[in-house]
Amino acid sequence: MLRRCLALGAALILMAGLLTGCQAKAAESTVFAMDTVMSLTVYGGKGEEAVAEATELIYDLQNLLTATDENSPLYALNHAGGAWTTLDGDLLALLSDSQALCEKTGGALDITAYPAVQAWGFISKDYRVPGEEELTDLASRIDYAALELDLKGSRARLPEGMEVELGAVAKGYTGDRLAQLMAELGVESAIFSLGGNVQAVGSKPDGSPWRVAIQDPDGQGNLAIVEVTDKAVVTSGGYQRYFEQDGVTYWHILDPVTAAPARTGLQSVTVIGPEGLVCDGLSTALFVLGEEQGMAFWRDHPELGVELVFVREDGSVAITAGLEDSFTLGDGFTDREVQVLS
Amino acid sequence: MSRNAKLILLLLVLVGAACAAFVLLRPAGEGTVARITLDGKLVEEIDLSAVTEPYTFTVEGPGGFTNTIEVEPGRIRVREAGCPDQVCVNQGYISDGTVPIVCLPNKLVIEITGGGDSLDAATG
Amino acid sequence: MTPPPAKGARRLTRLALLTAIALTIFLVEAQLPPLTAVPGIKLGLANIVTVYAMFTLGPGDALLILCARVFLGAVFSGQMMTLIYSAAGGLLSWCVLLLLRRLLTREQIWLCSPVAGVFHNLGQLLAAAGVMKTWAVLAYLPYLVPAGILAGLFTGLCAQFLMARLDKLGP
Repeated sequence: MLRRCLALGAALILMAGLLTGCQAKAAESTVFAMDTVMSLTVYGGKGEEAVAEATELIYDLQNLLTATDENSPLYALNHAGGAWTTLDGDLLALLSDSQALCEKTGGALDITAYPAVQAWGFISKDYRVPGEEELTDLASRIDYAALELDLKGSRARLPEGMEVELGAVAKGYTGDRLAQLMAELGVESAIFSLGGNVQAVGSKPDGSPWRVAIQDPDGQGNLAIVEVTDKAVVTSGGYQRYFEQDGVTYWHILDPVTAAPARTGLQSVTVIGPEGLVCDGLSTALFVLGEEQGMAFWRDHPELGVELVFVREDGSVAITAGLEDSFTLGDGFTDREVQVLS
Repeated sequence: MSRNAKLILLLLVLVGAACAAFVLLRPAGEGTVARITLDGKLVEEIDLSAVTEPYTFTVEGPGGFTNTIEVEPGRIRVREAGCPDQVCVNQGYISDGTVPIVCLPNKLVIEITGGGDSLDAATG
Repeated sequence: MTPPPAKGARRLTRLALLTAIALTIFLVEAQLPPLTAVPGIKLGLANIVTVYAMFTLGPGDALLILCARVFLGAVFSGQMMTLIYSAAGGLLSWCVLLLLRRLLTREQIWLCSPVAGVFHNLGQLLAAAGVMKTWAVLAYLPYLVPAGILAGLFTGLCAQFLMARLDKLGP
């Protein structure tokens, strides 16, 4: 009798285990914000609520982070003519974090490159190639260190003629805030695709890692797949926004030293790490630095916990050692050469 | 029948029923389904694996443009669009869920759910 | 229950004959179009021989036939990857048969085959999980378990009828 009861119990436990798989329903939403499309997917019982709050947060952040809207705080700071501007605490903290990241990258990332980005027409889509003199002038006005932050007084100041823009870190920061929101709501499984920035919260409902594709810079396929849990995955590449003139391709990632598109032999850089803001900023900075200096940066900063994927101009791929077990080439790309760097 | 036989039979039936229930109660949506949304609102859902003859239809979005969508067995694309950048047209056909077609000016998204590829998101 | 093991040439002949039959059934079944879209679902007719051997010749001989069939089947079908899956499934179901042999009588073979079928599928999935280094493949389990039960029921009944006929013929 005892044995029969045990067997029945085991069967019931097995059945319950199988049925709980049904609860892994996803709540999904598509949000148009920050000049891109974002798709939000949250698993678990609180999915609908979490997606609704996440959508609200994205809209709030969009208003906070934009520099183009005339009513935005950044627009006010950029057009204050060198005077102190009072800013919200969240924005000030983000500016401070971004500035610290700029410093860490030795200025390869610079949040004050906005006038140069505008001059090339990447904001208005009225593309043009500025002359040499103009570029020298633009480059002289790029300096993240000139941004003064008064955290106690909740205010910031910028020399006249300079402008701050958070495009290089805004989506990454949004990812961090979304991940934080999910933690507060007790969500254990969610994935956010923020216009090319991926923020993975926890793992898939079945406990396996999220499978994130890295797009091929040349086409529409998936060059590679990385498996991640609780990480941000961000790619920067010249193919994302560019124009051609007289047979030369000019892209939106500018070298702060020259104010011209950064050419370092790379098609794209993907950064995988625990913080979205860091990954977002670093993907831009490492594209500017190139593979060799980028690797030097990676070796110097193990505390950031990031791993890198470089796609070179010849199509070959280089990954950092920590990715060896979670990186696979996509279908149709298995003949690509992959070098493991350490 | 012996007690052992009865016990094993009972277990088999229970486990089989549990699995069958799991399979049957799962939300439907096998096969490759294209979801077409305008500004986040679902306008059309097409089971691409059930499409036999290619056809086209046109949607008008909040951007004030139209997108002409071409549906073929297993794949879908935007054939023509009134938007200025033509990004959606240039993207061509999609047949899996990794990279949706997005027409930003018109807030049109065509995404594919279900189907073979088990990828969760894409960066780039 | 089990007759005393046959010796020498008689045993060898019987083993070879059963292996040949199992192999033939296996290869013929491999040529049939798949029953469903879910990979791994098939009748597994060759297991009739394994079950038969388990109850008439004993576990040792059944294992020999199984291993020979699995190995030669992979060689002849030219798909060495199936070797891992078949071996994992086959060995796990053999272990279960070993246990069931003590719990059930010869008249209840039809019942032990579905259990073996379930464990065969479980073994295959575990092997697949090992090969692909992900537990995600276990998501197939709810599909494979009922399939294993049905297929096992079919092969079990086949084995049952087969033995009823063969018993009349004598050893």
